[in-house]
Amino acid sequence: MGMLAARHGLRTGALAFVLLTYLTLIGLPGRLADLAMPVLAGVAAIFFWLVLRRNPQLGGIYGSLGGTALWAGLLAGGFYAVLTAFFAGLLANGVRVQLVFDKIVPQNLAALYAVMPGALLSGELSPVGWLRQVGLLGLAGVAAALLVAGERWLRRRELPPLAALRWLPLLLPFVLLAAVIGLGSPAVTFGGNNQGTIRLLLAMLAVGSGIFAARAVRPGGARRVLWALLAAALVGLPFLLDQFQNSVMGIVFIFVMMGLGLNIVVGFAGLLDLGYVAFFAIGAYVYAFLAAPFSSPWLIAQLQGWGLPVSGPLVSFWLALPLTMVAAGLGGLLLGIPVLRLRGDYLAIVTLGFGEIIRLFMLNLAELTNGPRGLLNIAPPTVGGYSLGNPRDIFLLALAGAALIALVANRLDGSRLGRAWVAMREDEDVAQATGIHLVYTKLMAFAIGALFAGLAGQLYAARQTNIFPENFSLFVSIDALSLVIVGGMGSIPGVVLGALALKGLPEVLRGVDEYRIVTFAALLVIMMIVRPQGILPSLRRGRELQEQGGSRADQPSVLETLPDNAGGSPLAQKER
Amino acid sequence: MALLEARRVTKVFGGLVAVSAVDLSVGERTVASLIGPNGAGKTTFFNCLTGLYRPEEGEIRFNGQPMIGLRPDQIVAAGMARTYQNIRLFGSMTVLENILVGQHVRLRSTPLGAIFQTPFTRREEEQAERRARELLAFVGLSGKGDLTARNLPYGDQRLLEVARALGSSPRMLLLDEPAAGMNPRETDGMLRLIRRLRDELEMTILLIEHDMKVVMSISDQVTVLDYGKKIAEGQPAAVRSDPLVIEAYLGSGMLEGHSKLT
Repeated sequence: MGMLAARHGLRTGALAFVLLTYLTLIGLPGRLADLAMPVLAGVAAIFFWLVLRRNPQLGGIYGSLGGTALWAGLLAGGFYAVLTAFFAGLLANGVRVQLVFDKIVPQNLAALYAVMPGALLSGELSPVGWLRQVGLLGLAGVAAALLVAGERWLRRRELPPLAALRWLPLLLPFVLLAAVIGLGSPAVTFGGNNQGTIRLLLAMLAVGSGIFAARAVRPGGARRVLWALLAAALVGLPFLLDQFQNSVMGIVFIFVMMGLGLNIVVGFAGLLDLGYVAFFAIGAYVYAFLAAPFSSPWLIAQLQGWGLPVSGPLVSFWLALPLTMVAAGLGGLLLGIPVLRLRGDYLAIVTLGFGEIIRLFMLNLAELTNGPRGLLNIAPPTVGGYSLGNPRDIFLLALAGAALIALVANRLDGSRLGRAWVAMREDEDVAQATGIHLVYTKLMAFAIGALFAGLAGQLYAARQTNIFPENFSLFVSIDALSLVIVGGMGSIPGVVLGALALKGLPEVLRGVDEYRIVTFAALLVIMMIVRPQGILPSLRRGRELQEQGGSRADQPSVLETLPDNAGGSPLAQKER
Repeated sequence: MALLEARRVTKVFGGLVAVSAVDLSVGERTVASLIGPNGAGKTTFFNCLTGLYRPEEGEIRFNGQPMIGLRPDQIVAAGMARTYQNIRLFGSMTVLENILVGQHVRLRSTPLGAIFQTPFTRREEEQAERRARELLAFVGLSGKGDLTARNLPYGDQRLLEVARALGSSPRMLLLDEPAAGMNPRETDGMLRLIRRLRDELEMTILLIEHDMKVVMSISDQVTVLDYGKKIAEGQPAAVRSDPLVIEAYLGSGMLEGHSKLT
């Protein structure tokens, strides 16, 4: 053990320390009160476990595995104790740390020592408090080592009960859903209410784990049953959540719809589009023109000229659907035609410009779009006189829309066109020389991707009731692109996970709002290092990585094994 | 009437004449080889034939139809398919998917058909997959359909390139150094495959090759390029002893050295 354990331990411990520091800076301990330290130790233990199990080099609970874990735990604890002591000292001496780190308040810090905030301010802290931090994190390390060792032992033995245990994770979404129900529905959850926030988090984890479960089962009868149960649970979810939770989930799934469209352009066809918000904006504005013509001076003049009433929507939400889809699809073609010859970076720059052009149109064509004052009082969808404008129904509609788009995207993925997209992404020239019509294939990617964004935009306009040009800034494009990358390029379930992580999680961590951009950046950087293929990579990507474990590239070709031959010279390898 | 007729094909890059007024005609169901030292313009000529480059001058007729000005995918549709010197498979796709992409021009299903899974689309996809498996069996890769192309052994990747090209049901195959980087046993396997392509699938073949054993044993006709110009053409035996060819390969005044052409 010795050096190896110390080196791994130092690195793992330092990473855990960064994680704990982050959780402290966003004010988690204050919310957990006296449970703060045990919960942080639990988080650290899970982190250690995830890191240690990835490292098969480390062996033996009494050897380098145990050593690394102990080092990591004690180092993380030591660093952490020093940090908290530093903050505690500052607070006790009346330094207003809050001006810099706004969550470093007595209440938050006292939770780490399990004392009252008053005791912290008067400097009445005993060394036991710090030793407790070091000890708990040390224990976290030991627990993680035991967990990894136990896991390996079970795997080596290949006990029959273990095969049955594989089914256990599949229950997770349902367990989480039960917890959501069990927590009940607190009256108001906006802002500070902990229970409501935890409920939202559990709901999101339930959806996320459901996606994993749905992918984990092999095709067959069991899968159909599981999928049916998961679908039923998903449809039931909006009825369990309150207004705020539903509105968060609604926006998450509107971004899923959008992400699925962008996934076709970027993930399948490999065309980097940084102005994707343009199609989202086109969808939203076209629906707004149709549903709230009275907000647009130019439309009012036109309608009056034709002698038509201007007080209500022109068409219903449902009739508007094909119109927004066509408009957004045409927008896709409009962008697609000039960029046909562009690749890579150049394409990205032009699409970036396109997104801005559309936003500036919305801002400056004030006659038509009412400029920065926006289009107001957009009608919600209705069914038989019943308005579907409340957050629950919007969430349901977003679910339906996302499911439909996912189905279409999935079928396209396995089709002739889908193969052409992937081939084009891999090697444009060879794809063309293999018989793929590049113009058609590219335009289809842009148009279909735009069409999905248009649908998402229409639902977004209906949800917001009022839309303004600043709703469609570059950041929407970046959000959409980030969620595709975080979820796993080209992966349909990955888009859902990406949207949950990037659009949902910040709502759960409302307290993190100040750190949101930092969180995004950190998340993206960590993701790209730890899991460059995304949270849930596409099957294609996953398969590739799996096989690379035992690469075949250096095995003999079948040409080699043909029978009638005597030339026994060694295989002349040639690296590409 | 030859299947492929190229007349005075010229390709210029800046000041460099990469291919200069090359004539070539390849008869139906024959194997023609294109040889020459490195940089002689062989691959450039291939790229002109398959539409990746547009020659400045000359005429290319395939099956009587003019090919110049057509896009590469139209040329594939006309019945000319190719492989590449440095293997260019769609690495992240499976072996089977690669061949399905090869069949792209022969398939008719539309995106709407795929979305609604119409009976036509389903039938066509089934047939395409069956044909892909047949082609895999033909080149000897049966059972490897679900592997990722990138992870195939080197020699198998070459075979897969041939199978992908066959996917478009071509009348003529252009093989760019099919035996490059192979050991003698693998080369023999490739030789047999090329013969079967001609005899069993009635394919016309034009190949670029450096391995003289392959060229001499399989070709009905050999064309030699040097500095973009055609310097010799004819039966393998006649070309092998052509002094111009020997000079091109070994340089003037080097005739006493080892003959690379044996």
